[in-house]
Amino acid sequence: MPKTKDRLWHLMAAMLAVLSVGLLLFLVAFLLHQSLPAIRAVGLRELLLGTEWRPVIYQDAPQYGLFHMLLSTVYVSVLAVLFALVLGVGCALFLACAVGDRLRALLVPYIDLLAGIPSVVYGFVGLYVVVRTMERLGRAAGESILAGSIVLSVMILPYMISACLHTMVQLRHRFEGVSAALGVSRWYMAAELILPASGKGILVSTALAAGRAMGETMAVMMVMGNAVTRPTLLGKGETISSLIALEMGTAEVGSLHFSALYTAGLVLLVLLLAINIGFSLLRRKLNREGVL
Amino acid sequence: MKHAKSLAAFVLALAMLLSLFTACGQKSNADNFRAQIHFCGSTSLAPVIASIGASFQEEYGTWDKVDSRFPAQAIDIAVTSGGSGDGPSSVADGTADFGMLARGVKDSEKAALGEGYAEYLVAYDALTISVNRANPIAGKLDNLSTDTIRKIFSGELTYWDELDESLEHKEIVLVIRDLSGGAAEVFEKNVMQGTPISANAIQSPSMGALAAKIAENPYAIGYAGYGVYQMNEANLFAFQVNGVAPTEENILNGSYTIQRPVQFVTNRPLTAAEQVFVDYIFSDTGRAIVRENGYIPAY
Repeated sequence: MPKTKDRLWHLMAAMLAVLSVGLLLFLVAFLLHQSLPAIRAVGLRELLLGTEWRPVIYQDAPQYGLFHMLLSTVYVSVLAVLFALVLGVGCALFLACAVGDRLRALLVPYIDLLAGIPSVVYGFVGLYVVVRTMERLGRAAGESILAGSIVLSVMILPYMISACLHTMVQLRHRFEGVSAALGVSRWYMAAELILPASGKGILVSTALAAGRAMGETMAVMMVMGNAVTRPTLLGKGETISSLIALEMGTAEVGSLHFSALYTAGLVLLVLLLAINIGFSLLRRKLNREGVL
Repeated sequence: MKHAKSLAAFVLALAMLLSLFTACGQKSNADNFRAQIHFCGSTSLAPVIASIGASFQEEYGTWDKVDSRFPAQAIDIAVTSGGSGDGPSSVADGTADFGMLARGVKDSEKAALGEGYAEYLVAYDALTISVNRANPIAGKLDNLSTDTIRKIFSGELTYWDELDESLEHKEIVLVIRDLSGGAAEVFEKNVMQGTPISANAIQSPSMGALAAKIAENPYAIGYAGYGVYQMNEANLFAFQVNGVAPTEENILNGSYTIQRPVQFVTNRPLTAAEQVFVDYIFSDTGRAIVRENGYIPAY
């Protein structure tokens, strides 16, 4: 009797696993299928490296170049991850080393709460605080890559912190006794032992955050101005996900424009998969070397 | 005890698994009468139809109160907003009964809808060329020619003092809607006519966001719809275009040219229930709601 139950459980777990892997494969296949007309008509090279995006038929010659959007997506994500890295590592180090277990248990849920705030809300705050501030500082329009990356960095902060914190708390427990025995100060321990040792852990949490940053749509769309130009720090830019969100509703179904938007989605998905696979390979390598 | 718990977990997991396959299986059929009328398309018309629908539901509640021929089913006017492109396409593929558009219907769309094509013109919406009231230009110029507007939006004029010497040397902040939307198309046809809009323009995801941007930024200019312009009249200043002010009269008689029709289309004869609701849209109540939403009724 217990054997049948075991077999049933096994079967069900296997089915669910196949289902979720199948879902991912289906997604890629579906995107590819929808993208094919654009890839055939425009060419992958032009789609990826073309700098002009003029999608509508009533304009003389439609152009479907995603290069500026790709560049903006990478630009804003990298910048956001950098900001979040500085803030997040500092915050995690503080939570791991400076406070006791009880206070940490009290503080961490508040940081996790940041992850639960809807992105429109971040967008609104970004629009009325970040963008406004930049306009007060003298920019004619505050919408920019910088504004986008500031808002994004706050959004990915909780992921960054909780991943770092996990490693650092473990390290603290490992080093605490030794440090106390040797009479080394707490901050020496934090700076010289915990921080260097958690470097690889930080790398992994960076990957998580980068993936999250690239896919974010709403908040970024609200503060970046969505102009299809070569992105500069204080200039406007449009990310791939903003492009899809803005234009999918108005693209004629079945048109080349529609297909080109699917291609944009495919490019984003491939980019994210590459990042995730790259970092999980890295993590496996580090695991084998025993640094994690 | 422990056994029962794991059994419960098992049943729950099984139920979750099964629900994946059955979620979309339900269907109701009461003598082929469909209590739901589904509109899909333009984000401009969607709130109007939704509030007319709400008022219709409130007034009657169930279909038999509308007409005794109908069964006693709850009235359900479903409105999905996606964009003008979604309207005709969702009718063509059968996901909606009516497609809403805030622009003219393209020939390719008419062809896709086939023989039974019919359109229902609800209202007109015009685009005003608006700036912030705090912009000093509001007191100096009240008229722009199509040519000047084109120069501003193409990026040929980049600073306000290039438009009028007495203005500040500040960058002109252009605010537009997404390039493939209905408003962008109206602006393209009536103003830009092939000249590309500056790549530096801010694309707003909605008319509300566009008006808010202008209302907030004294250096911004954009094509705010007549509806949002009226709602924000305290903060926005609209130019005359070629000497014609964007008033209701000028929009209806066609002399103010930056305008668009707001309509819905279908590809088959109306059912009796649909006919009743369409009549309701074109009634005085419907008309009042169209006006409340900032559009100019076309009837």
